[in-house]
Amino acid sequence: MCLFSFPFSLWFPLFLLFPLTISNASSQHTNNWAVLVCSSRYWFNYRHMANALGMYRTVKRLGIPDSNIILMLADDAACNERNRFAGSVYANPGRHLDLYGENIEVDYRGYEVTVENFLRLLTGRLPPSFPRSKRLLTDSSSNIFIYLTGHGGNEFLKFQDNEEVSAHDIADAFHQMYEGGRYNEIFFMVDTCQANSMYSKFYSPGILATGSSVVGENSYSHENDYDIGVAVIDSYTHYVLEYMEKVNKTSRLTMADLFTSYDVPKIGSHPGVRSDLFERPLGPEHPMNEYGRGRGWTVQGGGEWMGREMETEKRERKLTEALITDFFGGVVEVDMDSDDDLHAFEDLECPASEELTSSPMKASSPVAPLSPPASSSLLDMYPFLRPSLAFILLGALFAFVFSGIFSTRS
Amino acid sequence: MDAESRFRDPATLFFQSDHVRRYIIASYWVLIALALPLWWKTTSIERLPLPTSEVYTQAQRKLEIPLEICVDSTFSSQIVSLRDAIRVAASYLDVHINTGQDCSMSSTLLVFPGYAVLPGEKLYIEDRKLYYPSHAENLASTFTSLLATKMDRRAAQYSPRYRLSFTLLNEDGSAGQVITGWDIQQAIARHIYPITSALGILHNFTIESQVQFHAPLAFEPQSFSNEGTFGLTAENLTVFINSAEWVLSSSSSNDPVLHFVLFVPSATRRPLEILSPDGTPSSSSAFLIPQWGGIVILNLPAPPPNTLHLTLPELRSSFSSFSRQLSTLLGLPRLPPSISYSSPSKTALSPWQVDTLLRQRTRENVMRSHDTLRSTVTLVSRIDSMPVDEQVQAQVQGSLKALNELFAYARNNITLNEMLAYSARALTLSSKAFFHPGMLAMLYFPTEHKYAVYTPLFASAMIPLLAAALREIAAWRKERREARDARVAENANVTNYDLKTDAATGAPVAR
Repeated sequence: MCLFSFPFSLWFPLFLLFPLTISNASSQHTNNWAVLVCSSRYWFNYRHMANALGMYRTVKRLGIPDSNIILMLADDAACNERNRFAGSVYANPGRHLDLYGENIEVDYRGYEVTVENFLRLLTGRLPPSFPRSKRLLTDSSSNIFIYLTGHGGNEFLKFQDNEEVSAHDIADAFHQMYEGGRYNEIFFMVDTCQANSMYSKFYSPGILATGSSVVGENSYSHENDYDIGVAVIDSYTHYVLEYMEKVNKTSRLTMADLFTSYDVPKIGSHPGVRSDLFERPLGPEHPMNEYGRGRGWTVQGGGEWMGREMETEKRERKLTEALITDFFGGVVEVDMDSDDDLHAFEDLECPASEELTSSPMKASSPVAPLSPPASSSLLDMYPFLRPSLAFILLGALFAFVFSGIFSTRS
Repeated sequence: MDAESRFRDPATLFFQSDHVRRYIIASYWVLIALALPLWWKTTSIERLPLPTSEVYTQAQRKLEIPLEICVDSTFSSQIVSLRDAIRVAASYLDVHINTGQDCSMSSTLLVFPGYAVLPGEKLYIEDRKLYYPSHAENLASTFTSLLATKMDRRAAQYSPRYRLSFTLLNEDGSAGQVITGWDIQQAIARHIYPITSALGILHNFTIESQVQFHAPLAFEPQSFSNEGTFGLTAENLTVFINSAEWVLSSSSSNDPVLHFVLFVPSATRRPLEILSPDGTPSSSSAFLIPQWGGIVILNLPAPPPNTLHLTLPELRSSFSSFSRQLSTLLGLPRLPPSISYSSPSKTALSPWQVDTLLRQRTRENVMRSHDTLRSTVTLVSRIDSMPVDEQVQAQVQGSLKALNELFAYARNNITLNEMLAYSARALTLSSKAFFHPGMLAMLYFPTEHKYAVYTPLFASAMIPLLAAALREIAAWRKERREARDARVAENANVTNYDLKTDAATGAPVAR
């Protein structure tokens, strides 16, 4: 509205400044990120590794650079002793495509895949020692695709047979990201048993979620490879990836197209969608109204879709539809320099070389250097001291009390 | 008889005597009572209070940055429209317009940077003075385009520190004609240093550079026409950066990096041109990725150059692109093309631009620290299990203090540099508090989960302890009752027989 209150003469030069802007223009984001988590380990969970790697390959193909992909993977399948095809991970029985072959950058590997690291990664509360590659350096104009796979249950996902992340934890982490301005929109996808319970606790705006199976339902593996000897991929992920093969960098396919491609008899479970926190409509009326109905959907009134009733209203508000490439695209904007700009900076030069003798890099900072946080106490540095201290104190008390008793004997 | 003597009579064991046994059992309970606070202390989450109400009050305050303009009396008719235009374009500016005095002097005398509008032959600026043709009527729009521009959306977010990374990429060194070196120090000193030194009060810059000899593209540039020219479509540009194989900056710190890439196409693939939307080669060879950096494609001239070292004159056009891209990424506003700038020292940045950027960054920082502080306190109150330690508390307080000082001084003659310094300090502290590694909420456990964990741990220890205590209490009460009964009976005996001495020794009297 306020755009028109400016004199036209002011805006005209602005248009000259952006001669070529390639942008999806449907979403207020300037960069895309992906967090792909395989929370399982051990050889028999080969398929979870393949799920995550298949998703990794897809987001990379669609243009998210490796620096913007955080891959958390136990990574014990490719070089497992039981792997007949050493150094390879396949997601189909014919072993047509090696998911591991080329450029794989695993950011959190093996025992680094923990609930704590996952939540720290999301909330950005990482110790200063962590490198850039392990950080989710997003801002309020980032769209994030988050994919989880592993063994789970009602409202939890198991991490490496050791600990669990609950739906509350993820919901809280997302809210902290929202408060911290760490995302524009999140697309959350989870493939695990009772997966839809994982997104049931979300309460922060801008999140679109989908899961592989309703509460009380398993998520199934897709196919075995008899040479590898284990199931190689999960059914839901397999069909999502199969659909994603249709998508390219300039595709205009919407999220509605993806969701309506869910084929319950093939997948074997009832995937769910949650869009009540998401502002934009998922797609044009036609495919999305069909979601959850028809062949195979045994659910009364259509498949699980939280936010179904809000969809018409969103469409009426003429908001742009959610495209698949909004979450899977690469760098979404490039500005080319125009020539008339060039001359303005031609003469931006230091006059002569005598000035060069003063060291150019020392630009003084006005900000008083913030002193590093006051050295923390020994307890903070070695967290294990806390419980052991308690033990020592307890032991001392015991010793004291008993020595008192024994000394009364004499 | 021997066997019997080997075992002592339990009643004679010292710890089986009543009071020792009770002492032992009581000691367990004393221990538990003492350990409970310790256990409570070690398992509870440290949540220090945050100045919540102060944060909310602070977050509602609006920053008003004073702006002094001295307008020559020639333009007195335009003052009202000037004030309104600035108010509309930038509500965070507190405009004071003086008129009727000699403006040519005032701008140098004020501590706070004041601006002067003076009548001139043509439209130009010099220092903080604007010379304006006396017959022109559009002073308001000129002023807003100088002082109240919007922040470029391609600019990177404010950070007190930036790392500038300059990379010379040979696409394929093995194809011949490889550039082995460049006069990077001179080029930076000549083209980049004017900007970094002018903006030194805003950011602390670290500069690094490198030359790489093998940097393949992730796609095949299409060949168009038969002259062996290769083209980059708009779509190619978006995937130009092959971050899987190019290492464009050292990862030695977590400061935000602005990347500048000078790309030399392989000998088999040149010239490489950027295509404009209609498919013809564009005359520009540079493009910018918002918030990330800039790329310049350098096609070597057709006869292979003798030298494999890029000299300063050869880098001139590339680096003027870089300096333009850098100023865009840093959010430096541009002078409107109609205004010429005559500077005595030939530093190409006018104080108008730098001042405007300072004001915009100050405002941005204040807004961001308001948001961050508010988010911190709402999160802490919303999530019960989120720890708040001393450092977080101190950082929130420090950020508030910096903001308070900034607001207190905004009325006085505090310079823009100091305002920015306060705002940057507030921002740094507030985001440090928000992203403090200690602020990770403990994992959520449902109540059943807690019972399931604690019951096997404590029940097995507590049941025998409780049982022993109950049994001992029961025995003690029984004993007491018996003793009382005995005493009652004794008293009865005493009254009957009137024998005080027997009662005193405690020897039971035969009944």
